[in-house]
Amino acid sequence: MTYPIELRNVSYYYSPGTPLQVAALKNINLKIGEGELAGIIGHTGSGKSTLISHFNGLLRPVEGSVIIDGEDLAKDKETLRAARFKVGLCFQYPEAQLFEETVARDIAFGPKNMKLSDEEINERVKKAAEFVGLKPELLEKSPFDLSGGEKRRAAIAGVMAMEPKVLVLDEPAAGLDPGGKNEILSMISEYKKRTGCTVVLVSHSMEDIASVADRVIVMNAGTIAMDGTVDEVFSHSAELRSMGLNVPEITRIFIRLRELGYDVPADVYSVEKGAQILREMIRRRSV
Amino acid sequence: MVRDITFGQYYAGKSLLHRMDPRMKLILTFGMIVAIFICHNFYSLALMALFAAAAVVFSGVPAKMILKSIKPVMVILAFTAILNIFYTKGGETYFEWWKISVTEKGVNTALFTVIRIIVLVVISSLLTYTTTPTMLTDAIERLLSPLKIFHVKVHTLAMMMTLALRFIPTLIEEIERIMNAQKARGADLESGGLIHRAKALVPIFIPLMVSSFRRAYELAFAMTCRCYTGGNGRTRMKQMKLHARDFITLFVCLAVVAGIIVLNHFFTRII
Ligand SMILES: Nc1ncnc2c1ncn2[C@@H]1O[C@H](COP(=O)(O)OP(=O)(O)OP(=O)(O)O)[C@@H](O)[C@H]1O
Ligand SMILES: [Mg+2]
Repeated sequence: MTYPIELRNVSYYYSPGTPLQVAALKNINLKIGEGELAGIIGHTGSGKSTLISHFNGLLRPVEGSVIIDGEDLAKDKETLRAARFKVGLCFQYPEAQLFEETVARDIAFGPKNMKLSDEEINERVKKAAEFVGLKPELLEKSPFDLSGGEKRRAAIAGVMAMEPKVLVLDEPAAGLDPGGKNEILSMISEYKKRTGCTVVLVSHSMEDIASVADRVIVMNAGTIAMDGTVDEVFSHSAELRSMGLNVPEITRIFIRLRELGYDVPADVYSVEKGAQILREMIRRRSV
Repeated sequence: MVRDITFGQYYAGKSLLHRMDPRMKLILTFGMIVAIFICHNFYSLALMALFAAAAVVFSGVPAKMILKSIKPVMVILAFTAILNIFYTKGGETYFEWWKISVTEKGVNTALFTVIRIIVLVVISSLLTYTTTPTMLTDAIERLLSPLKIFHVKVHTLAMMMTLALRFIPTLIEEIERIMNAQKARGADLESGGLIHRAKALVPIFIPLMVSSFRRAYELAFAMTCRCYTGGNGRTRMKQMKLHARDFITLFVCLAVVAGIIVLNHFFTRII
């Protein structure tokens, strides 16, 4: 069985051999399956960005091996280059990578590096722009004239246009207003539904991850502290708190209610669902 | 990685040299560099080298760090040594073959020049090891302040220098980030000919410029918001003051220079 992403005993150090050495990843074992939407969550500095930089070979493990689509990245340069296109990585604040004269040309940068035909490139640019909700008239504008949210979309489209087998997004909603955040998140789950691709989403917001991911991987100080479904992970709220993370506020309210002796479920992650349950309880009480 | 370029190589410490007034340190460093070039023979040069060694000891900077600062000039050292050995002629001939000959004068000059460069590097690197870039620019500002009479904007220049130094690590980080982002989009930075590589830099250079300008505007706003209006009427939190240690060091340096002049006088000139 081959996995799109598999890490075996991966360790990574920044500035190795100096007094400043930081063990950013410690003996990581991770398999991400075909068509999964996995969320990676962790406190600042827990190693999330370092981890995902291994997925396309931007960082090479100091120990252990990274196997993408059944091939070890350490094999040769071609495998490494192929991994760049198999795994599309979209970094934190991706709007910093825009550089072309027009949005369309910027989105085309990745596909062009893949040496696709012009028609194919045009096709993909249109498709990706439409997908992220960029209006066609914006495509001919300079990327520097877009608003912050539009820039973010253009940058994500630039990665999507490469049509990678695995799409990895580092904090795609960071610094956006709640509306923009929800749009980006629903766009991501829509992308997964439509293409069937594997998606890895990095965030430190529990709400965001809970709303879209099937699986949650919790990073803490360079190790994988927990790995399971949303329900499994959120049921360990005390441990999460000790790692500087927190379950969504609404879940905390329900956990507290249970502690106070009310018969409510503990797996409530969205305010809508919570409100519905509470309304029902109040109705039952007043009857 | 780009990050490995060390810059403003300050080595934190509390030694005599660290605590000295940066103005005095700056002047003395310049003075002693000039003194290196006054040395005419091995005796005076030896005194200079001794002074440099003593300075290293008093700075508390480990020898390893000092050697690290000599490393980049190794090529220059080798080059000067070879040039001097083969091209300076005079005195006894040690070795001769075809058109190449090595003479006493050649060997002496080569040795002399190499030691001179090493001492120069050690002394100037001690300045940067024991003084933070901010302290250094502050000192420069204070030393150049008499130029204000000629309407030279000393404060502005010093502030520009401080800011430039402050933002070098930030820029390096930014370059790394942008490089990674473009590599993730399949940008090929490593292969191809010169033109191809130059073209490959465009996707890195443009975002860097854009973010630098943005950063500059933000910084200017932030400074204005904190009522920065240039140097006029600005006081300092850290006042520079001359202490006994600064004068003692000054006298030591003067004594070394006097010693050099005496030794130059009593022994034959080599260079
Ligand atoms: N280029 C670097 N050089 C040295 N240390 C680094 C570098 N990048 C990250 N680190 C260190 O490695 C650790 C992991 O960093 P990483 O960026 O992977 O964290 P993160 O989980 O992505 O954090 P955040 O949520 O803030 O993005 C941190 O302790 C960080 O200080
Ligand atoms: Mg990160």
